[in-house]
Amino acid sequence: MENTQNKDENSKVNFGKIIMDDFMLLLFLGVTIYAIFYLLWGVMELSNLPTIPEEIKQNLLK
Amino acid sequence: MFRTCDITGFKVDLQSEKLIRANAVFAVISLLLAVVAAILLVFTRYQPVHLLNAEWYYRLTTFHGLNALIFWIIFFEIAGLYFGSTVILNTRFCAPKWGWVAFGLMVAGLVMSNTIILMGKADVMLTSYTPLKAHPLYYLGIILFAVGALVAVVLFFGNLMIARREKSYGETMPLVTYGLMTAAIIAVITLATGAIIYIPTFLWSLGLIDNIDPAMYKLIWWGLGHSSQQINVAAMVSIWYMVSFLSVGGTSINERVSRSAFVLYILFICLASAHHLLTDPGVSSAWKVWNTSYAMYLAVLASMIHAFAVPSSFEVAQRRWGYNKGLFQWLSKAPWGNPAFAAIILAVIGFGFIGGTTGVIFGMEQTNIIVHNTIAIPGHFKGTVVIGTTLTFMGITYYLIPLIFRRKIVGFKWAQWQPWLFFIGIALLSISMIVLGQLGVPRRHWDSTFSGGPFTHNFNPAVDFFWALMMLGGSIAFLSTLIWILIVVISVFFGPKVNGPQDMQLKISPLAPQPTKEHKGYEAPGTLILTLIFLLVFIALFFLNWKWLAATWNVN
Repeated sequence: MENTQNKDENSKVNFGKIIMDDFMLLLFLGVTIYAIFYLLWGVMELSNLPTIPEEIKQNLLK
Repeated sequence: MFRTCDITGFKVDLQSEKLIRANAVFAVISLLLAVVAAILLVFTRYQPVHLLNAEWYYRLTTFHGLNALIFWIIFFEIAGLYFGSTVILNTRFCAPKWGWVAFGLMVAGLVMSNTIILMGKADVMLTSYTPLKAHPLYYLGIILFAVGALVAVVLFFGNLMIARREKSYGETMPLVTYGLMTAAIIAVITLATGAIIYIPTFLWSLGLIDNIDPAMYKLIWWGLGHSSQQINVAAMVSIWYMVSFLSVGGTSINERVSRSAFVLYILFICLASAHHLLTDPGVSSAWKVWNTSYAMYLAVLASMIHAFAVPSSFEVAQRRWGYNKGLFQWLSKAPWGNPAFAAIILAVIGFGFIGGTTGVIFGMEQTNIIVHNTIAIPGHFKGTVVIGTTLTFMGITYYLIPLIFRRKIVGFKWAQWQPWLFFIGIALLSISMIVLGQLGVPRRHWDSTFSGGPFTHNFNPAVDFFWALMMLGGSIAFLSTLIWILIVVISVFFGPKVNGPQDMQLKISPLAPQPTKEHKGYEAPGTLILTLIFLLVFIALFFLNWKWLAATWNVN
């Protein structure tokens, strides 16, 4: 029982260590979080902005 | 080909050493260009002198921004990445020829962009917001520089892979290299974003693309502009840990927590780019609030962890060396005569109290509105990039001169007080700019008195005092930077050779002794008190800004 518990703890420690030490995985996670929350979300919001009505645009450009 | 350092015992790849030297030299050249422009800009904004005409003011604002924020910082960081991935890991450089290709591209980019700016064909400032259009070679120069930097970052990862394969370090990467790896990952994010925006803008300047949407440009550009400064934060914090190790034999009291803080940087710090769009109507409040608070505060948490871990590493080491009396003997008996140590402690203080507090306050949607587009914003980043990163880079250079260039520091007495002078100058400059911004003075404005304009504005009379203070701070900082550059150049090119440990002017401390009995109570009570003082100052400034907001915007 005790051995199983120790084994579980070791595997948990190792899993955390694996993530922390794997720089390619960290690179992937860093790029993905930034790309989704900042870049793609922002680009989608700007892309979905309604176009300015032509009449108002012409008035502003006068 | 390796040499074994007779001072540190490190195995130094000679190719890597040459690349570190070359990048460091160009970093110093870039800094010189940046500060010459800076002092001219200070005396232009200081109205009684108003040195430059409007055209040259905007030209040199562009020139200063590019050289200070991009060239100086990134050249130095590439030198740091090579040092951290080869010298510290006792390994070879993976592809030296590519290292020289990267360096060549970066130098070509620097020369091309700077020439075009000085020719007056790129008066677009660092942000170069569209529809402002520069000469195509300006954008091409930046693209070349970015590609070179990206190649250098890839080489850094190549070095890490070799070190891991050859098992040249223990079970885990040293904390300093881990921090530099964080900087490299952020650099990949930054440079990739730069490519996304600069390549189409370059094609637009050639007339091959009709239009670049200004809102889209701004969104993507800040993914480059702000994230590039987060590379600095990670590199700077890594150097803080390194100087603690070198100067007093200190290590983080909990390396795992320090590493976790670096991971938080990797995952969340680049989202802070959204600060620059807090007043833009195109993106929603949900996007702004998520990116500048919910997620971003995890990166702020990381900075808070480092803000405790770095000074506590000094304190614990000092206490182990016997400086145990009271709360602050460890600090009063610290090696203040070591300019690298002094620079790092001053950088920690300045970065935390000036750059950090204002960063969080100005980064909130509500309080940002008081200072958005005012001179307080560059005042804030003088408190981060200059008093934090630049002072840190200046400090570590005092170690690089004997260890990498193998020369003694010429004018060591000058070197000992240079960090103090720089700290005082930039602190005055930064704080006065922040106060001026709080009083409504705009940024990037040639003549904020609006003389000859169709309307005018009467600022609070206190602005005259703070303009004078800004000019004084700028002048002191300029002089201390010149002193640093002279010390570096004279030492590197004409200084006496270092022939062994006896020639080291800066102490390299052995690891602090391990405690003989189990410690009870706080490991670093002095640091805890200092951290609490910092938190109190932050809370006071936080509420002061909310009060200022309520006084400025009367909402019924």
